[in-house]
This record gives sequence, C-alpha cells and structure tokens, in this order.
Amino acid sequence: MSFDVSLIIDSLPKMLRGLGLTLQLLFISSFIGLALAVVILLMRISGRWFLSAPAAVYIYVFRGTPILVQIFVIYYGLPQFELIRESIFWPILREPFGCCVVALSLNSGAYVSEILRGGVLGVEKGVLEAASAVGLSKRQRFIYITTPIAVRLAIPAYSNDTISMLKATALASTVTLLEVTGVARTIVAETFAPYEIFIAAAIIYVTLASMFQKGFGLFEKRMSRYVKDA
Amino acid sequence: MSELSGWWDDYFWGAMVVLRVFVVALVMSVVFGLIGSAMKLSKSRIAQRLASAYTVVFRGTPELLVLLIIYFGAAVTLTSIVQIADPNVKFVDIPPFWAGAFAIALIVGSYMTETFRGAFLGVDPGQLEAARALGISNFKTFIYVRIPQMWRLALPSFGNHMLSLMKDTALISVVGLEEIVFVAEMATSVTVKPFTMYIIVALIYLAITTVITLSVMALEKYANRHLQGSR
Repeated sequence: MSFDVSLIIDSLPKMLRGLGLTLQLLFISSFIGLALAVVILLMRISGRWFLSAPAAVYIYVFRGTPILVQIFVIYYGLPQFELIRESIFWPILREPFGCCVVALSLNSGAYVSEILRGGVLGVEKGVLEAASAVGLSKRQRFIYITTPIAVRLAIPAYSNDTISMLKATALASTVTLLEVTGVARTIVAETFAPYEIFIAAAIIYVTLASMFQKGFGLFEKRMSRYVKDA
Repeated sequence: MSELSGWWDDYFWGAMVVLRVFVVALVMSVVFGLIGSAMKLSKSRIAQRLASAYTVVFRGTPELLVLLIIYFGAAVTLTSIVQIADPNVKFVDIPPFWAGAFAIALIVGSYMTETFRGAFLGVDPGQLEAARALGISNFKTFIYVRIPQMWRLALPSFGNHMLSLMKDTALISVVGLEEIVFVAEMATSVTVKPFTMYIIVALIYLAITTVITLSVMALEKYANRHLQGSR
C-alpha cells in the first residue's frame, strides 16, 4: 500500500465542486431551522400548556432520534402515503435535496430552540426588574432587553450547533446527493484509495469548521463589547 | 400494523446489536477521553499538541466520513499486509461492528477529552493540597479525591455525549452492520411499507435515548446527594 499525496491534490478540486451543495444544505437548513427555533422557543416560554406541550414533544422527538433515521423516514417513508404524493409539498419531498433540507431544518429547529431557551433563562433577573421599573412593557422588555443579552449568551452553543449541522450535511450522501462526502464516495468507488480521498474531504470539513468557529468567536466578541474585560 | 408481523424478532436482534455497539464504543470513548484529557493537562508540549490536534480533527470531521475512513482504510491496509504473506488474497473483509464502534469511539472520545479536562480542572486545588498535606499518595489522591469530584462535574455533558453516541450507531448500517436501520431496509424491500418500518426504528431509538436521559438524571441526583438541603 502506498500513500499517494498527488491523489489528494488531484481530488481536492473535484470535491470543492461538491462544496457548493454542502454549503447550500447548511445555509438553507440553518436559516429555516433558526426561524423554526424562534417559533418553538416562543411556544415553550408562552406559559400556555397547549402551546408549550407540543413544542416540548417536538424537541423531545427530534433530539432523541438519529438524523439519518429522520432523513430516511422523510425520503423513503413519506411517499408511502397517497396524500403526500398528491399534496403541494410533493415537488420538494420528491427530491433528495428537498428531503435533506426538511430533515436538517426540523432537526436544527429542535436543537437551536433549546440553545435559545438557555440564553433567555440566562438573562439576569435584576436587569429585567430594572427594565420594568423604568416602565418598559412586557413586549418591550423581551425585544430590547432579553433578546440582545440572550443572543450573546447563546452564541457559543449556537456555534457548536452550526458545526454539528455542517457535519450532518454529510448524511445527504446516503440519499444520493453529491455533496463533499458524496463526491468523495464516488471517487473512492473508482480509484479505491480511501485514505487519500476521504482525508482530502476531511481537510475540507475541518477547514470549514474552524472558519465558522473563528467567525462566531469574532461575533461573540463584538456582542460582548459592553463588558469591559471580555 | 399487520405488515410488521414477522419482523419483530429482526428488530429485537437489531436493537441488541445497537446496544452492543453502544457499550463497546462507550468504554473505548471513555478511555480515549481520559487519555486525551491527561495529555492536555500534562506538562509535555508534544502531548498537548497531539491531544489538541486529535480534538480539532475529530470534532470537525463528519461522523460518516470518519466511519468510512476507518472501515475502508482498515480494509485496504489489512489487505496489503495479508498480501505480503499470501499474494493470492484479493480482499480482506473488516467486521463493520468493530470498525463502526472504533470510529464512533474516536469521535465521541474527542468530545469526552474536553469534558474530562474541564472536570479535572474544576476540582478545587485546595482538596489536592489537603490530600498531599495528609500524606496521601498521588495514586490514592487520584482515585479517592479527584475521580469522585470530577465525575460529578462531568456528568451533565457526559450524558449528552452518551446520547450522541447512541444516535451515531445508526450510521454503521451504511457499512453493512445488521442493526435496526438495516432491518428496516430489508423489511421495506419485502413489504414496500417504508414509513412504517423506519418509524419503528425512530421509536426504538427514542425509547433507548429516553432510558439514557432518565438514568443520567438519576445518576446526577446520586452524585449531588451531599448538596441536598444546602440550597
């Protein structure tokens, strides 16, 4: 066995073509997931059981099952029903890309809403009391006081979640999508050089992950600029 | 649900395989985590560098990719080793069970490294000084003073790592381990009821993760029993 470094260099451009799809999956599902997470968060902290109970069940189910199984249920499972095949969602659920986006968004919605909830619960009580003492309404307090502080508190965990999402996009290769891992698997099937090709793919992921981590670090620093020694 | 009849025992044995992978990978990942955190806390620069390279690489690479590298990589490596002895051998099969458990343990071990490091640092240094003042040996200090205090601190994130380890076991079906996702695939090709078959898989995972969550909660209560009533 020989380790062929030139093969890594040859295969990197091919895999970078899969990078576009990886990033699309990541950004689209993170965006939908974040929107979903805010809705779920508001349901959970609403204090009304008929809103908070479904939100809790949703979080419990999506955090308790593997993403791979969620993708399979949506991609292979849903077409079992006539109703789905005739609904307006069929153009999305027919395509593997649409199914992956749906699965990843639902999954990230569950995780991110818990992260945001941690941020909201971390806001100091005294700050909110001060806000109500100067006459801010409940809504104003949530928008102007709780939200900015909670966002800052949530950044480290959200950064970790984004990296988990990046790693989860690799699962799209199991339903035939040719993102970075999918491209790597096809090249390995041709060349049978698993070390070189998969390590090249791993380099892409690790680079992306550290870029995201740096980016979130800078964002956190900016959001913490009111803290003197941060 | 009539289409499920005849598949229950396949799901049961599949779930047993999942639990076996879980236990094996959990033990390995704790070992990796302890070694990694010991290296990160050691005074040797080289050990520190190696351990941080380990955590950066395995926390940034998709689980599926690590599994594929280990599984196909081990196959290629072993084949070429065996071919030195016997050139007629075309291909060596790697058991997906061990490749999968090892790959998952490497990943979860990198997360455990950080958790254990934080927990070791969280033990009050005064406790260790007190132990030294009493003339307790380093080894005994580690066993009787450090471990009981660090595992209490490590428990919450340790529980989360156990959950992600459990969910990662689903990936091993990709390299052909006959666990529950694999059973669902087979059952689907016979019954053409994919939704029913995969929902059962999801429910089995949900049941197992629920049990893990509840046991971690009980363990946390046990570990913090000395704090009861103080707050």
